[in-house]
Amino acid sequence: MKPRMKRIVTGLAALMIAAVIWLPCLHLFFSRPVSDFRQDQGLSPKARQLAARHLQLWTDPALREEELNKMRVSNAEWDFMGRSFLVWSLANMSLREPASKPLYLRTMDQIIDETLRLEKQEGMYFFLMPYAKDRHYMAQPAHSLFLDGEIALMLASRRMVEEKPEYKPLLTDRVNAIVGRFQKSPRMLLESYPDECWMFDHCVALDAIKMADCLDGGDHSALIRDWIAVARQKLVDPKSGMLISSFETDGTPLAGPEGSSIWMVAHSLELLDEDFARDQYQRARKELGAITLGFGYAHEWPDSWKGEANIDSGPIIPVFDISAGSSGMAFIGAGTFGDDKFLASLAATLDFAGFPSRTVGRLKYCASNQVGDAALLYAATLGPLWAKVKTGARQ
Amino acid sequence: MKEPFWKKSAIFQRAEFLSARDMLQRAAAISVMFLLAHLAGLREFTSVLNGTIGSLALGWNLSAFLAVIYIVFYLAFVILVPVLILAATLLAVWQRFRRKSPP
Repeated sequence: MKPRMKRIVTGLAALMIAAVIWLPCLHLFFSRPVSDFRQDQGLSPKARQLAARHLQLWTDPALREEELNKMRVSNAEWDFMGRSFLVWSLANMSLREPASKPLYLRTMDQIIDETLRLEKQEGMYFFLMPYAKDRHYMAQPAHSLFLDGEIALMLASRRMVEEKPEYKPLLTDRVNAIVGRFQKSPRMLLESYPDECWMFDHCVALDAIKMADCLDGGDHSALIRDWIAVARQKLVDPKSGMLISSFETDGTPLAGPEGSSIWMVAHSLELLDEDFARDQYQRARKELGAITLGFGYAHEWPDSWKGEANIDSGPIIPVFDISAGSSGMAFIGAGTFGDDKFLASLAATLDFAGFPSRTVGRLKYCASNQVGDAALLYAATLGPLWAKVKTGARQ
Repeated sequence: MKEPFWKKSAIFQRAEFLSARDMLQRAAAISVMFLLAHLAGLREFTSVLNGTIGSLALGWNLSAFLAVIYIVFYLAFVILVPVLILAATLLAVWQRFRRKSPP
């Protein structure tokens, strides 16, 4: 063999051996104990740093406006959901860290008040994607369960931490309106967009109803039970056994089971029907969750369903079929069901490919955005609020 | 005319393709490029990965372009650079072993 060819072959062989050594070791540089992301008691280091960044956003109007405007260019929903996830996170943080409760409550109130003001001033379409105006809602007057459910859960979460009398009638009115529409709907399916219903929004709204019952002594357990029976019977994908993510008001599926939805759905269901919730998580984990070379991630669809990348899934990274949306929401599922191995591997991926940026104790992920980071903060802090509702403790 | 001092240094002299020195030079070049991209603040633009614009002032296309540059150099830095350094080490060890062993 000529010397040049011999050198190239030797070099390529060395590169291959080096790759075989390095690639399985790469995750070790990004892996941390799961307690770095989420702890049973108190706040984990990551939760504290993520929270510091969010609290900064709500004390610096210029910074907040810049962040929210960047998201609103793509999706006005993200502006709204970022608020919801942050309020729910702060409620859990208040229960985890009572010493900081006054600060957290103040921020929750600020977010809730501003969200309600914007809803009243700009109308419900302010937080919806433009296509909401393309058709008329089937049920009139028009309401979006997406907005009503999340706002109700924000109000209820705040009151679960500490009563605020001004919020009691706001919660009662919102819950009564949702319950009334459930009772009027022939199939108990309510719209978020015109003739477009979302599993995520139904589960969140039912959580809010359950929490309102806990706070104000109501009893909508029959409604919750009936809705779950409908979901089990009509809204499950027969191949994967997972709940589908969107459907029309008559129950016709619009989209199949989706990772960007199912992880939060399983989490929400955990407050309503623990066995069903765990079953859904386990199916999602089997169908959508994956760990390769120590890095965890999630697909948007199971093998049995073919879908196209959309605003919820985020761009799909080929070869591994990684969905940013599903992988982000998978933190919530793994955190809820104590799947520490998956959670730690997801966190390794986040530190590898999420491009963390730390400034004076504040953390944000550059590959994420405000709503993504708020969902991560929620995954790192969830637990105490659900536990409080389950035990029936009001204050 | 005198050559600049850095051109005389072995590090900057062109190495044979896929030799140990060639690999180290490539690793160094990638590291420098990544460092420059990082210091230029291109990390901020990686929000395009979730469909969020990196900068309202620069617009979608330029934000996406800058994000791609950063991501490519980042992946090269964390995956390719260690592989190149490891491979160079393996080659150096192999060549030393061959020189010592009798023909």
